[in-house]
Amino acid sequence: MCESAGASDRRTGAHLVAAVLMEEMRRDEGIVVFGEDVGALGGVFGATRRLQREFGDTRVFDTPISETAFVGMAIGAAQAGLRPIVEIMFVDFIGVCFDQVLNQMAKNHYMSGGRVRVPLVMRTAVGSIGSAAQHSQVLSATFAHIPGIKVLFPATPGDLRGLLVAAIRSDDPVVFLEHKWLLKSRLVELPFNDADSPDSPVEPAAVGKVRRIRDGSDVTIIASGWMVQQAVVAARELETADISAGIVDIRSLVPLDREGLASEALRAPCALIVDEDFAGFGTTGEVMASIAERIPGEVRMARHALDVSQPAALVLEEQVVPSARSIALQAKRLLRA
Amino acid sequence: MLTPRQLYETVLRMRLLEEGVGVAVQTGEIHGEMHLGIGQEMVSAVMGQYLQPRDALVSTHRPHLHALVKGVDPVQMLAELLERDGLNHGKGGHMHLFDPVASFMCTGIVGSGAPIAAGYALHRKLVAQGGLTVAVVGEGAMNQGAVFETMNLAAVLSLPMVFLCENNDYGISVPRRLSTAGQLVERGAGFGINGWECDGVDQRALDEAFSAAFADTRKHSRPTLIVAHVYRFRGHYEGDTDHYRPAEEKETAFRDRDPLLVARRDLVGAGWSDERIVALDGEIGREVSDWFEAARSLPFPDPSEARRGTFVDV
Repeated sequence: MCESAGASDRRTGAHLVAAVLMEEMRRDEGIVVFGEDVGALGGVFGATRRLQREFGDTRVFDTPISETAFVGMAIGAAQAGLRPIVEIMFVDFIGVCFDQVLNQMAKNHYMSGGRVRVPLVMRTAVGSIGSAAQHSQVLSATFAHIPGIKVLFPATPGDLRGLLVAAIRSDDPVVFLEHKWLLKSRLVELPFNDADSPDSPVEPAAVGKVRRIRDGSDVTIIASGWMVQQAVVAARELETADISAGIVDIRSLVPLDREGLASEALRAPCALIVDEDFAGFGTTGEVMASIAERIPGEVRMARHALDVSQPAALVLEEQVVPSARSIALQAKRLLRA
Repeated sequence: MLTPRQLYETVLRMRLLEEGVGVAVQTGEIHGEMHLGIGQEMVSAVMGQYLQPRDALVSTHRPHLHALVKGVDPVQMLAELLERDGLNHGKGGHMHLFDPVASFMCTGIVGSGAPIAAGYALHRKLVAQGGLTVAVVGEGAMNQGAVFETMNLAAVLSLPMVFLCENNDYGISVPRRLSTAGQLVERGAGFGINGWECDGVDQRALDEAFSAAFADTRKHSRPTLIVAHVYRFRGHYEGDTDHYRPAEEKETAFRDRDPLLVARRDLVGAGWSDERIVALDGEIGREVSDWFEAARSLPFPDPSEARRGTFVDV
């Protein structure tokens, strides 16, 4: 599984995911991996590469393009005692199997009075890559709104590994959101790369704890997923304008570290909540409410998230999807307000 | 094949259970929606002989009869129905019964149990060989994509599962002729799935279908389909005005297609006197009323239960 040292520069997030899956499948024979194109191809983003070769086609297999059937199959298999990891190729495809997510996966543990468990991981690729409104969504809040689903959204290579291990070992259903740029980017080229030794044994990360990525005294940027990486670039730009921007990575939408968000927000007079998901009824509002409920009036807040669907053309996408530049701009605007 | 006594006893237990539940709806003891299986008993009664403890069964919004034959404790189930601290501590209720010991569950969403049944079948294929999974659907669910997707997936993956379609001719109020094209049993054939169609109040026909389909699925680890034709004696739910079904149709069915009357006729044919049957009725009646009494003796769920169990560890 290990790449040669000379090739490690080329390693992407997808390599990390595949390595974690490999390691966890060796540890736990109950893990099975299935979904569209996860077998011979190794996933359209390469995140299941070499798994079928290593474990055979009974533990790693392709499914028909039938999300309802194979997500339901994962739920039943989890309830029966396996630990399935399914891939929804693009999160946008969740619509075709939403009953299984909304009414089965999320509810069966609760409705059974705790008598059945649904230990499955749904890995899915999210985020804007210029592919318009059916292939660029994040939809994190859509999952987070449903009681009974844990929603993890790694922003860094370290969390891509640590949170994935935590998801796999969780006895609850977990939606694991993998940002396409995190999967595709070379780790060494990321604005924030905490993967010091990607071959080291991976430990599960703590679920439900925010993480301070950067200290700052003027404004706190609170974000998740790829927006954290963008915020790192924005903070550097703000620094050149003598603005000290801290960054807090949400990491886990469910469970949400509401206390941690409030205590982190207290470190600066302003907080900008950034999200690549839709603003309405979403994560930005939830974070603001969590802070406002705990420390009313202490922090001036604003949010920066999508207010329309993702367009295809780059010049339009840039208008809509938050970026390092727009985050810096919004932070300055908040400070001036 | 079940003896006439076994069949009659089993159907009678089911009938008395469902009637007792119906009364509990009328008295307000049960405040939620309720779907009874009266008229459909013989299908489950016959299936029960072929189910093994290692098999799983995923049922529907009309689940009580399947639960009984899969080995779910009737007192625990009734307590759950009667909104007490029952099988699922009052959080599932009648359409969402989960018994991992009996490998039984059901779902209230039409057709959505089939994919989950495929998961139980995958588990049996990979680690618990020899067991199979039954996915029960109604004829209404046969128009859900979930069922077709699952038939295809089960065939492609050679999953040991039996699709049991209980065709009672109505999806709530809509008759099958207005909702469903073609022949139900032929829908399996399109996926290379062997199918059996039978009269759901004909013990011999049911027995042939279940023995053949279960044997085929067990032996070859592949899906099969059974379509059993039944008549729903009650409305879709308790409280349904049921004005959409012609009176003559109902009268004919009540006369000719009542599983309890058919089973009783067989008992008489086997030489049972009225007196013996009355004695047996009394015996089974006491058994079922003991279930209700035991269920009603259980406490209501602790109010704190409502906020428990969204997650395993939170």
